[in-house]
Amino acid sequence: MPSFTTQLPNLQTIGPMIEMRVWVGTAMEEAIKKSGGEVPDPVPVKAMIDTGATVSVIEPDVAKRLGLKPVGIVEISTASSESVECYQYLIRLIFPNNVIVETTAVEAPLRGQQTQCLIGRDVLSHGVLVYTGYINQFTLSF
Amino acid sequence: MKELLRKELEKYKSDFDSLIGLHEGKFVVIHDDQILGAFDSQMDAISWGYRQIGNVPFLVKHVVKVEPPLDFVSNLLGV
Repeated sequence: MPSFTTQLPNLQTIGPMIEMRVWVGTAMEEAIKKSGGEVPDPVPVKAMIDTGATVSVIEPDVAKRLGLKPVGIVEISTASSESVECYQYLIRLIFPNNVIVETTAVEAPLRGQQTQCLIGRDVLSHGVLVYTGYINQFTLSF
Repeated sequence: MKELLRKELEKYKSDFDSLIGLHEGKFVVIHDDQILGAFDSQMDAISWGYRQIGNVPFLVKHVVKVEPPLDFVSNLLGV
C-alpha cells in the first residue's frame, strides 16, 4: 500500500502540511505529446491536508505555470461567500515517496503565502489518513 | 464571470431537460456548442475529451437534477 509519513515539530500550530508537487494529468500529458508540445515540469508546492474541503484546490499561479486548460466549472461555498464560480482542472498530485494520485482540482486563491494547494476529501476518499497528534505525526496511505 | 467554457455551460443549461432524460447520472463532454459523449465516470469523460479534442478547454458536466455543493469549512480559501 503506497504511503508516506510526515513528522512536524509544530503539527498542531501549522496543520498537516506537505511539501509535494503538482503535475498535469495523464490525459493532458498524452495530448501535449501527441501535438508535439513540451510537457511542463511538475510544480513544487506546500499543500495542506484539509478535511474541511470537499475537493482539492490549487492556486491560480500553479494552474498558470502548468498551462492547465479547464475541464469543468463549478460553484463553491466558503464561510464568507456562496456560489463562487471556479475552474476545474485534471492534475496529478505527487506526494512524498512518489505516491501519485490523479484527481480534479478547483482553482481558487488561498490565504497567506504558506499554502499553494489543499488536499481535499476527493483525495482522502481513496485512502487512509492517520493523524497521531501526541507524536506530531501523520500518515497518508492509498 | 468566467469567460472560458461559458458557451459550453450555456449549451448544458439549454439542453438540460433532454440530458436528464437521456443521460441522468452520467458525465457529458461538451465542446463549443456540441455534446460529444456521455460516460459513467468523470475520469473516463476527461480522458476521452483530451484524446478526441486535444489540449483545449472543454466541459465535463455531471448530469444531475441537484448538484451537491462544494463546501470549504476552513478559512484557507481566499474567496
